[in-house]
Amino acid sequence: MSVSFEEPDVPTPSHIDLALWRRIVSHAHPYRWACAGMAGMGLLVAGIDIALPLITAGLIDGAAAGTPLRQLARYGVAYLGLLVLLSAGIYAFIVFAGRISTGMAHDLRREGFARLQRLSMSFYDTNPVGWLVARLTSDCAKVSGLLPWLLLDMVWGSALLVGIAIAMLWLDASLALVVLLVVPPLVLVSFAFQRLILESSRQVRRTNAQITASFNESIAGVRTTKALAREAANLEEFQVRSTEMFQHSMRNALQSAIYLPLVMLLGSVGAGLALWRGGLAVSDGLSLGTLVAFMQYAALFSMPIQDMARQLTQMQAAQAAAERVQGLLETVPRIQDPEQPVVPQLSELQPIHSITFDAVHFSYKAEDPVLTGCSFSVRGGQTVALVGPTGGGKSTIVKLLARFYDVNGGSIQIDGIDLRDLSLDWLSDQLAIVLQDPHLFSGTLADNIRYGCLDATDEQIRDAARLVHADRFIARLPQGYDTEVGEGGGRLSTGQRQLVSLARAILADPRIFVMDEATSSVDTETEAAIQAGIDVLLRGRIAFVIAHRLSTIRSADQILVVRGGKIAEHGDHASLMQRGGYYARLVAANTPQQRSDPRPDRVGGSPGAA
Amino acid sequence: MFDSIREVWALTRGSRTYYAAAIAAMVVASCFLYLAPLIPQAVIDGVLLGDSDALLVTVPLALLGGAEYVGAHLWVAALAAIGLTAVAGSATYLRGRWSAMASEAIVRALRDRIFDHLQRLPLRYFDRAQTGDLIQRCTSDVETIRVFLANHVVEIGRSLIMFAVPLPVMFALHPQMTWLSILGMPAIVLFSTVFFLKVRSAFEEADEAEGAMTTTIQENLTGIRVVRAFGRRDHEEERFAGRNSTHRALDYRLYRLMALYWSASDLMTFVQKAVVVGAGVYWVSMGELAVGAFFYFLTAVNMFMYPLRQMGRIVADLGKATVAAGRLREILDHPIESDPTDATQISEPAGALSFESVTFRHDPEGPPTLDDLSFEIPARSTVAFIGASGAGKTTLISLLLRLYEPDEGTIRLDGHDLATLDRESLRLQLAVVMQRPFLYSRSVEDNLLLGRRDAPREELLEATRIADVHTTIEGFDHGYDTTIGEGGVTLSGGQRQRVALARALLQRPPGGAEPPAVLVLDDALSAVDTSTEAAILEQLRQRRGRQTTLIIAHRLSTVALADRIYVLHQGRLVQQGDHDSLMQQPGPYAELWRSQSEPALAEAAPAGSREAS
Repeated sequence: MSVSFEEPDVPTPSHIDLALWRRIVSHAHPYRWACAGMAGMGLLVAGIDIALPLITAGLIDGAAAGTPLRQLARYGVAYLGLLVLLSAGIYAFIVFAGRISTGMAHDLRREGFARLQRLSMSFYDTNPVGWLVARLTSDCAKVSGLLPWLLLDMVWGSALLVGIAIAMLWLDASLALVVLLVVPPLVLVSFAFQRLILESSRQVRRTNAQITASFNESIAGVRTTKALAREAANLEEFQVRSTEMFQHSMRNALQSAIYLPLVMLLGSVGAGLALWRGGLAVSDGLSLGTLVAFMQYAALFSMPIQDMARQLTQMQAAQAAAERVQGLLETVPRIQDPEQPVVPQLSELQPIHSITFDAVHFSYKAEDPVLTGCSFSVRGGQTVALVGPTGGGKSTIVKLLARFYDVNGGSIQIDGIDLRDLSLDWLSDQLAIVLQDPHLFSGTLADNIRYGCLDATDEQIRDAARLVHADRFIARLPQGYDTEVGEGGGRLSTGQRQLVSLARAILADPRIFVMDEATSSVDTETEAAIQAGIDVLLRGRIAFVIAHRLSTIRSADQILVVRGGKIAEHGDHASLMQRGGYYARLVAANTPQQRSDPRPDRVGGSPGAA
Repeated sequence: MFDSIREVWALTRGSRTYYAAAIAAMVVASCFLYLAPLIPQAVIDGVLLGDSDALLVTVPLALLGGAEYVGAHLWVAALAAIGLTAVAGSATYLRGRWSAMASEAIVRALRDRIFDHLQRLPLRYFDRAQTGDLIQRCTSDVETIRVFLANHVVEIGRSLIMFAVPLPVMFALHPQMTWLSILGMPAIVLFSTVFFLKVRSAFEEADEAEGAMTTTIQENLTGIRVVRAFGRRDHEEERFAGRNSTHRALDYRLYRLMALYWSASDLMTFVQKAVVVGAGVYWVSMGELAVGAFFYFLTAVNMFMYPLRQMGRIVADLGKATVAAGRLREILDHPIESDPTDATQISEPAGALSFESVTFRHDPEGPPTLDDLSFEIPARSTVAFIGASGAGKTTLISLLLRLYEPDEGTIRLDGHDLATLDRESLRLQLAVVMQRPFLYSRSVEDNLLLGRRDAPREELLEATRIADVHTTIEGFDHGYDTTIGEGGVTLSGGQRQRVALARALLQRPPGGAEPPAVLVLDDALSAVDTSTEAAILEQLRQRRGRQTTLIIAHRLSTVALADRIYVLHQGRLVQQGDHDSLMQQPGPYAELWRSQSEPALAEAAPAGSREAS
């Protein structure tokens, strides 16, 4: 079950970060014509909005003055023409908005995705997958969905406001000034309420996320809930949250409920002013048509002001999303190819001759060093077993070799060339890693094995599976190799996933092979069976093996004891046993003592009791 | 369809008064909204032109103090118009308030009900259900219903009233003109309804494309190490590019459809208005229609066109809400675990267990998970179950907890058939540690105290010391107050197991001083490293005899603790006895012991996969 969690909520900024938005807007460059069209449509629609009351005014005055209908028909044609034009304008700007927003979202996602493929592993240590997914999905959608409408409402709104003001001033300047009095309070009320509503809907979302988490917990923990008979207690706690949700939702609804009537009231104040002052002016020669036009304009004001206030508030709300998206696009990968990466030209069968760790220092966090001067070298064809306490640095050594991270000091060399000078693509071609908790992609078993070599034939896939005895469990599945493994390989057991990932690695035919607890969950029988296959596999390659089972370790050409950030001991099994150090003690401590068992090599008793 | 509408309607029970009040407020608001333009109309026709004797002109003017008075005091008319809008505004506010009260209260009750029901559903339900789908129902489906209840119930009332209220006024003013004003309405309603029903599939396809895109991102990032290790950057970008552009195309299609909808329905609205304007001008010039009345027609048409255009959306949302209600109904109709009222409340049992010919199938058609299983466990003894995965060990524990009921046979605790016991009283007598224990995302201490809220501090510390997790907890930033899971620490598999063990050791039945009669360790130390495990086992050894203890383990070192060992194979008991006697006989136990005598060579077992807590 994947719950995509949001990054910690930041409060809405009180200002608009123009520099940031300028960088965001630069992504709209490919859609500049659509943007221009959008702005054009904004002007067109505003123009028509302004013209319509003028035409109505002309019609009313004409009709009241008894102008012949034939002459009035001109107005009618103009009116209809404008309406058709308005519809076309509406059609056009929605299509333009679609083009801009879907295009920008697409481009931002493409760039963000590409960036993520290049960022180093340390980036993933500090940024949970859920956050990153949210950046590419909802954050991108928020930013790209906002911009076209912001553009439209700004152009349309300001044009409409200016246009109405000009039209009114032109019709009757003194009356216009009176009616325009309602604009400042309208602006004030709109901004204040949009902001309030924004904040309260944020609260609603936050509480909603907690409710989702509660449901998630109730389902994931259903066994525990039942075992502890916690149903009533859980419900009580849930009710606290659902009540909180009720309160936040009510606040949000009430704010909206007050806002619209307030704007309506201000609009009617404008219309009232027009009626009062305009009515007085009629006796001084103001036409009735102008009066009606004024009253319509007064009602028209509130719309663009509301819309612009909403867009600007949305912009503030989206600023955090914009920062996250732009931040991702601007993150520089810590590990990159040098300017002129070395690509060693190895012929088909030519192996790698040596790998050397030379006084390597490394730490994930500055205050907590993992490797402090770790040195060793491995010759071509050797299998190296890494042994040592958890957290001693075994996995770190292979991660450094794969260049998931760069060393802080010292160097790692392949055939005498510093890892940092080598091409990253070349390096990943040489290496295959099988991890303890291997990740499979959703798709079929065959797809997953093929991931090791994209142009492998079905036969090659079967061979690889056979080598690690994965074919046995695959044969038992109704769909065989076409079985869907589910998200993350979730429909397979860990042991089965390990076998599939072994087959995948075999298909990749790497020169360097790394197994980090790669068969820990495979049952003992199968493990014994695949050992032969693995031996074939390791022949002629350099292999790093991290394992717990003594048999795997004992047969290694070289055993490295990694302890306290250094190589404490190295040598083969016999020499290390002789030496009587950590390794020998470890073997002794983990070898069960003999008991009253008739077969001397089959040992009873529990290590726990030892 | 009607059934599901009834479903939605049934939800409103208990809140209908609020809805009625909201609709009433809406009627008041609408009336006043339509009354407000009468004032300028009356002023224009009756005062400024001064030549109308129509009722709708003379009455408002009379109310305001007569045409002459109003002529001299135009501000009175303006204030009256503003006052009418203020009343309409207050009513609109009340409408919003009451409809929110109604819908939010319904939704809160609905959420509570689903949550409660969900927890009490039998485990079999969860075996079949997809977690993601269930969460979706509990959140998005509830939200869909909320949106409908909050916005549309009153909106439907509003649309009808918006239409009904001005009609008499309009007919009184000019019947033919009124007919022309409502001519286009059926067309708009029909158009928008048909449109929203038609585009539903386009919306669904776009949603699916977005889902596929999100999944691709999620999978890529979860497996980024694999991508990196195999250098599959280009392959992944290509795959994503496909999903990304499909999503763009389908999203863009939605925009074009919406563009069509809004522009076409706008055009229809405009044409309707143009007809009103044209006809109005004709009748005004014929002298049959007063200018003010014409203005009233224009305003009224403007006002009821907009809600009508919303009809399509309402119909579409009603469709969604009924589907959502149906999906929730599926959950709520599923029977929950329930005990007969005369079920025995068991308290302070000694802890003797017996399985009598117990057979159980997870899948009714499949092979039995437990096959005619019989054995007896004396009170306060320690027994172990071993066997390959799939042998039925965990199922045994699930039956004991009554998470499932046996298909055949009887399980007894102190001679009571479990089926006759009250589930809760039974479960409180069992302390269980599972292989992948679940911890709630709250503080470590809260998690520890789940089985006994009032445990004294010394006993809490004693439990964490036995489970060898005290030092680990002390090492967290906030010690025992550290939050587990999101926003807190992520525990390793071994740490979770040890916290769960401490929780089980601390557990007491309500009001009981003695620990629960039975302690179950279901492969509970599998992710704990061997030396820690040894220390914990030693502690448990000292507690022997206090509780009946059932141990399931893969590691044989754990099993040696037991007085008696049961070997299960494919749901059947194949061997039993103590360690020494089992080692003497050839069979699976000795085999297993042999294959495992190859020691694990490390100080620490793998940390275990990181699960979300």
